[in-house]
Amino acid sequence: MRVTRGIMRRRFVLLMLGLITAIAALIARLAYIQAVQSPWLTQRAYDLWRRDIPLEGKRGSILDRNGKVLTYTATAPTVIAVPRQVRDKDAAAAKLASVLGMPVQKVRDLLGRNQLLVYLAPGDRRITEAQAEAVRALGIPGVYISEKGKRVYPFGTLAAQVLGITGTDNQGITGIEKQYDSVLEGERGSITLFAQANGERMPDTGEQYVPASDGQDVQLTLDVGIQQFVEREIEQAVAEYTPDRATAIVEDPKTGEILAMANYPSFDPSHWQDFPPNTYNQNLAIWQTFEPGSTFKVVTLSAALQEGKVNLNDRFYDPGYYEVAGHRIKCWKAGGHGSESFLNVVENSCNPGFIALGERLGKETLFSYIRKFGFGSKTGIDLPGEGNGILFKLNQVGPLELATTAFGQGVSVTPIQQVMAVGAVANGGLLMQPHVVKAIVDHETGEVVKTVDPTVVRRVISTQTAAQVRQALESVVARGSGTNAYVDGYRVAGKTGTAQVAKNGRYEPGHYIVSFIGMAPADDPKLVAYIAIDNPHPQDRPVFGGQIAAPIVGRILADSLAYLGVPKSAQGLPKKPRWNDTPMVEVPNFVGMTLDQAKRAALASGAQLSTEVQGKGPYVIWQSPQAGQKVPDGSTVRLYLGNVKPPG
Amino acid sequence: MQRAWEKFDIVIVAVTLVLLGMGLVMVHSASSVISAQKFHDPYFYAKRQLLWAGLGLGSMFTLANIDYHRLRRYAPHIAVLSFLFLAVVLIPGVGQIRGGSRAWLGIGTFGIQPSEFAKLGLILFLSHYLADARGRMHSLLRGFLPPLLLALIAVGLIMLEPDLGQSVVIMGTTVILLFAAGARVAHLAGLAGLGLLGFAGLVAAAPYRINRILAFLDPWQDPLGNGYQVIQSLYALGSGGLVGLGLGNSHQKYLYLPEPQTDFVFAILGEELGFLGCAAALSLFAVLVWRGFRTAMFAPDDFGALLASGITGMIAVQVLINVGVVTGSIPATGITLPFISFGGSSLTLMLTGVGILLNISRQSAYRVA
Repeated sequence: MRVTRGIMRRRFVLLMLGLITAIAALIARLAYIQAVQSPWLTQRAYDLWRRDIPLEGKRGSILDRNGKVLTYTATAPTVIAVPRQVRDKDAAAAKLASVLGMPVQKVRDLLGRNQLLVYLAPGDRRITEAQAEAVRALGIPGVYISEKGKRVYPFGTLAAQVLGITGTDNQGITGIEKQYDSVLEGERGSITLFAQANGERMPDTGEQYVPASDGQDVQLTLDVGIQQFVEREIEQAVAEYTPDRATAIVEDPKTGEILAMANYPSFDPSHWQDFPPNTYNQNLAIWQTFEPGSTFKVVTLSAALQEGKVNLNDRFYDPGYYEVAGHRIKCWKAGGHGSESFLNVVENSCNPGFIALGERLGKETLFSYIRKFGFGSKTGIDLPGEGNGILFKLNQVGPLELATTAFGQGVSVTPIQQVMAVGAVANGGLLMQPHVVKAIVDHETGEVVKTVDPTVVRRVISTQTAAQVRQALESVVARGSGTNAYVDGYRVAGKTGTAQVAKNGRYEPGHYIVSFIGMAPADDPKLVAYIAIDNPHPQDRPVFGGQIAAPIVGRILADSLAYLGVPKSAQGLPKKPRWNDTPMVEVPNFVGMTLDQAKRAALASGAQLSTEVQGKGPYVIWQSPQAGQKVPDGSTVRLYLGNVKPPG
Repeated sequence: MQRAWEKFDIVIVAVTLVLLGMGLVMVHSASSVISAQKFHDPYFYAKRQLLWAGLGLGSMFTLANIDYHRLRRYAPHIAVLSFLFLAVVLIPGVGQIRGGSRAWLGIGTFGIQPSEFAKLGLILFLSHYLADARGRMHSLLRGFLPPLLLALIAVGLIMLEPDLGQSVVIMGTTVILLFAAGARVAHLAGLAGLGLLGFAGLVAAAPYRINRILAFLDPWQDPLGNGYQVIQSLYALGSGGLVGLGLGNSHQKYLYLPEPQTDFVFAILGEELGFLGCAAALSLFAVLVWRGFRTAMFAPDDFGALLASGITGMIAVQVLINVGVVTGSIPATGITLPFISFGGSSLTLMLTGVGILLNISRQSAYRVA
């Protein structure tokens, strides 16, 4: 078969149409790339071409409630060079070195680096505005002036864990710095340039200058004065008792404002990198959860009074234990408190009395009050890293769990939860939301941009019930276990707490968290103060909240109220002088007695002291501890014997 | 035998000149940065391209005035010479390596690419052969295979350089010529099947090849390796948008896009002149394809018809491959864009081809009303 011209012509047409169709397809493909994909590709291409030189905004300050500056950012000019854009590196290095006071070789090395940006800084020293101006005047292409900020802390370590820390890029990492980072940081600016693939500047492209804007100031509810009292007390307690940890909070119960918050161990925010991470990562006051112990009895008491389950004048008999579901739960006082009123039950922090209140309430009611007081859920404080605490699930609560919960065991709570719960008693029954920020303030004008208003979470108990609970708590301080918190003229009401610490499901022997939560003045509390000391090692006292924690809260309240100018009052309950709270006895003088006399005297003292004899002879010539010292019930006194009766 | 020749096909002349003009402008714009960088002379490539354009235009008008039948007499000689050069360029020390291929003969920066001349030489010879083979085209052994074998030998030599782009163009042009000459569709289908089998064999032998070949589908999988050029090319086209950034305003030519003046000049064209510029250039090529096959159809004899379709086919195949690569539509294959890319051999040979085409058009057997 011969190929005809006709066949060839038909094939020419086919080829022509085929090839033109293929070209048309490419045009369609180009339309897709250059119209549909164009915005996306353009964005990516710009990201490829642009080089951003960061400009930092000045971070806002953090102030106390009276405007005292707790931290601010000091900025200094910095010289930035884009090595690829500096053409004559030798000449540039020589000029820059003389202005900046740096070795020429060092500048030359920096300019020779294969990096997008290098910072030209003479050692750690900041450069002056005049130097920055001189660098600007040199007009070297590829050299720019930016600002770099550093946090400064005029009060040193004060309130470090509330303030928190910032990282090298000026970003908030913990505390207020993190919580209010977006307010404080302002907006980053930049100088945007277009670069060639080899890093040199693209010719005929301008630079886009986006100025940085400064951040706003955050004004805290903290009061530097009160914060200082609190930190002083923690320092002293640490020196005296060498505890593992300590936490203190002072709150204004009417508003939920936190006036002071401090922990031990803490850190120095200006060089936080030198401290263990848990010191700057954790704020114990809101993070740590532990068994509250007796301070929790405030909740049981409030519930029982609100529900009308008890009259404080009712009598109660404490044989030294309370039998629950076949178990005998002992009172902390061996032998019990005997017959007492329920007011005495509160004053004495008598466990059987509170177990009875718990039983009268029943588990549903007691646990509903516990939740209403804010336990088991976050308080919503404006700080990062808050703990929840743990409560029994209602279906797991048997008689035993109900009993222990009633006096503060088997629940796990945070310090801030306790403060807010007692704050509700203090302010007449309203659970407030705690906050540490009072206002956002414009950094330049000092104008208040936004204020944080007090937030009521819910009403927990009535005003009358709250007043009754306060009276009982005042009585605890005036006549009961909290007597060491007594402040003459300021009506302190409060409750002690001594909790054992469970580890691996067992209570650790000798490890206690002692606490005290107090408020004053009791008739119209201005402040609630709380302290907890974890694992104190006292030299000469037993580990009880009333002994260690109560006096600290007493001093914090006394100093703070005086500082705030709250007048003293004579309306309060008088202090009843006794060692009621703790089974402490005074050691009598045995020196000069015969051994028999001494033994008799030891029993007669009413204290259950045992004696131990050292040496030989008819007379006691020395004793340890010395006469007049207070020792716990049942302590041993060593008697040293000799042949010569000592004088006097 | 000499009839009065018609005038030039003025459309072909106009389209060629416009494309050539666009090319000169774009080569200058695209190469200015790299020229300044490499040679401290922003006009380095532009000046040379201008020289080649002059040479090419001279060649074009010369050949437009030489009766193409006279070329047929020398077709075997030209073919032999082409193959000789393809072999000589492979000798180390004689052929120069540029861009990884031993493909250049010459001194210094001026060099010629034997493969460019071989393309035209092969088209000339195959047209000559096939014009006489109309009675044998149904035969596999006597009609179809001999020209195919000749093309495969050329491809084999070029693949030793190696230069995949030129090989693909030669195969594409050969297939177009065979089809135009009336080869049986079954033979062509068989060839396609063999090609696929060979491809499958290569992939089976080294499975990593499939990744490299398919990299064009998603260049962002390997943005700094196989995908780099395509991504940079797409950035250029995409940021050009509909109307472009304006002549001379490309960003991608600032060393982001490699070889902006040769294989990827169309990307810079798309960045500076936008979709409108791209569509205009491609439309001009489409017009050229139309006029080229029109010339083939009205050619006074089979040799002229095949020669015209071969030259037009070569131009079209190069346009399709080049723009296909630049738009990320086909796997990366290096080939110049006719009349526009920088390159002496390519440009002069393309213009020479157009000259031949013009001469064929002047001898149209039919007047078209």
